Amino acid sequence: MNEIYVEVIGVNPPCKRCDATWKNVEKAASILRSEGVEISMKKLDIASKDVVKRYGALMSPAVAVNGTVKIMGRVPESEEVEKLLREALK
Amino acid sequence: MKETSRIIRTILLLAFIAFVFGALIYSRIKAYSLAPTMKPADFHGLPLWHIPIAYLADYFSHGWICLLFAFVVAGLIYELIPKQAITRYMSGSKLTGYLLALGIAPFLTVCSCTMVPLFAGVLYSGAGIGPAITFLLMAPSSNILSILLTGDLLYWELAYVRIAVSVVVAVTAGFIISRTPWGKAVEREHQVNASNHRASVKLVQPPLDQRLISALKFVAYLAKQILPFFIAGLIAVAYVEAFLPEDIVGTYLTGVQGVLIASVLGGPLYTPTLVEIVIGRGLWNLGMSRGALLSWLMGQPYDVANAMAVSRIARWKVVITYMVIAWAGSVIFGILYGIFSGSL
Repeated sequence: MNEIYVEVIGVNPPCKRCDATWKNVEKAASILRSEGVEISMKKLDIASKDVVKRYGALMSPAVAVNGTVKIMGRVPESEEVEKLLREALK
Repeated sequence: MKETSRIIRTILLLAFIAFVFGALIYSRIKAYSLAPTMKPADFHGLPLWHIPIAYLADYFSHGWICLLFAFVVAGLIYELIPKQAITRYMSGSKLTGYLLALGIAPFLTVCSCTMVPLFAGVLYSGAGIGPAITFLLMAPSSNILSILLTGDLLYWELAYVRIAVSVVVAVTAGFIISRTPWGKAVEREHQVNASNHRASVKLVQPPLDQRLISALKFVAYLAKQILPFFIAGLIAVAYVEAFLPEDIVGTYLTGVQGVLIASVLGGPLYTPTLVEIVIGRGLWNLGMSRGALLSWLMGQPYDVANAMAVSRIARWKVVITYMVIAWAGSVIFGILYGIFSGSL
């Protein structure tokens, strides 16, 4: 699989920690993109019905990779996100 | 090489945490007061500009231990708490919903980043509006930061009473709102079937040193959010203590009338910034009764920003009902506490 979709799930209006998470994910994604991996990123509202339906109650900020929540309630370093994304490629 | 540096980092971080805990225990053994020791009379004769400086210096010369401890504990708990287990049970039955809301709100809600999402999560995913409201009320009125500081800046009995009263008021409010027609309407509208989401949450856990670093980063984040307001509150209190005549406080902030005034005045000040504790201390020093002090702290356990976010989900009718119940609770318990503590 050479395509990953990442969802950053945060509150709306955005909080600082959600923004920091988005930035770190973007940084990791841009590294993988430069290696030719297709990555789509999306921001989701944690308090929307759609998110609760799919993932249940969450704590923000959360990061889901290919439809699985991998991180919640903390801001991941971009290196950690990069590792997660590489694992998703396998 | 990478392993060794990781171990060293872990040890250093643990040592720092041990130091923070040790400092607090040491201060307890030596029976330092971690609260400001200046009394209103001490301010007389100081030039205007010197008042807040003297007060801040007085507070921070010993208060830093308590502040540091409160922030570090809040950050550590937030980072190390098993989040997945909590969110899973939160969307369970009503009873577990209430119990979890009470048990967990105090540890999680130091940041509004968690409050609104969990409110929505609890509401949507099964437990319903009752536990969601309980969570929302419990959260600011007895989170770990405010309890530690209430105990230290005011006195510990008040901190315990504050917890007990929040529990009672939060459960009552949740229960009543879940019975009102508008509460039920919100619940029906928002119920989603979220039974099959369990497979879609598989958290990864980074190694200990990274978790500790991220905990301390969260501590820094909290401090940056809260301390400016906290310090502004201290400066305000220095002037209040220096210039507000004691007989005004003694006349208006005691008795049943004092409870009523305190509960209303405390409301707008109630932000998750601990300012209400600092100012409460100032007024208490000037002679506010204990009953009024509790009412002041409990006034209206909501803050405007969160109420706005919640009202988008839960409608104004629910938000207003919950404000009224919270306010009534603070008055009733303020008066009761005043009677029982002999200081109304």
